[in-house]
Amino acid sequence: MNQQINRILGQITEDILEKLAFIFSSPEEEIDSIDKASSITGRVSFTGPFTGVLEMSISESALPELAGNMLGIDEDETTVELQQDALKELINVVCGNLLPAIAGKEIIFNVDAPQIVSSDDSATSERDVESEVKLELEEGQCDILLFLDGDIPSGLAGAE
Amino acid sequence: MSINVLVVDDSRVMRAMILKSLDLAGLPIDQTYQATNGQEGLEVLKQHGIDLVIVDVNMPIMNGEEMLDAMIKTPGLQDIPVLVISTESSVTRTSRLREKGAAFIHKPFKPETIRDTVQHIMEGK
Repeated sequence: MNQQINRILGQITEDILEKLAFIFSSPEEEIDSIDKASSITGRVSFTGPFTGVLEMSISESALPELAGNMLGIDEDETTVELQQDALKELINVVCGNLLPAIAGKEIIFNVDAPQIVSSDDSATSERDVESEVKLELEEGQCDILLFLDGDIPSGLAGAE
Repeated sequence: MSINVLVVDDSRVMRAMILKSLDLAGLPIDQTYQATNGQEGLEVLKQHGIDLVIVDVNMPIMNGEEMLDAMIKTPGLQDIPVLVISTESSVTRTSRLREKGAAFIHKPFKPETIRDTVQHIMEGK
């Protein structure tokens, strides 16, 4: 795994969780990966000078607060659909901030619409993980994984 | 003077966040309208008197830049101020949007950034 990208991915995800959802998180390398059976996963694909997928899984227990904070409503008023939409927006913003942090702001990427994936989805199971960050939340956990098709071209800002 | 605002974004969470930020900002907002892509946004513009358009870039069917291009070509719509709020970070793309007359805010944003930017836009109108 790429430690520099791990650091960038961790900082960006922490920052966006705080700014967008008012949720504080802390990186925890020693904890197990999130339990897929009790979490929701969002995925966004991108193409550009390098191509890949970003996946974010968040504990179901953390999603009502996350969606409620983002929407400015009580967490009891959030529905599963709203919680999934909140996760999709969150991963969209993380991806939009991650790619220029890796490749530089001159580079153009095309980012697909984010999707919610089922717990038995295996689309990324055969791919190499470029970066993985595990964040502990007050009400659960957030794992974020970056998968790339091939290597990041050398010479891109932030990738070296 | 109160203003009518159109928010165009395919994410209803982001539309809600923008509307909440406008509300919290204490701006003199009269009516707010929502659309999920540029094409829907243009339809709303034809039907209602809109004073400010807040639009995302990456959307299905018609993206924010295509909507901005269509507004520029349409008499009656070309003078409506446009604020782009997007995760887009490419300097190439953001510069192009600014050259077309749009203001730009990067996601994630603070409510006060929206307040200050909208105030600046409406003062310059």
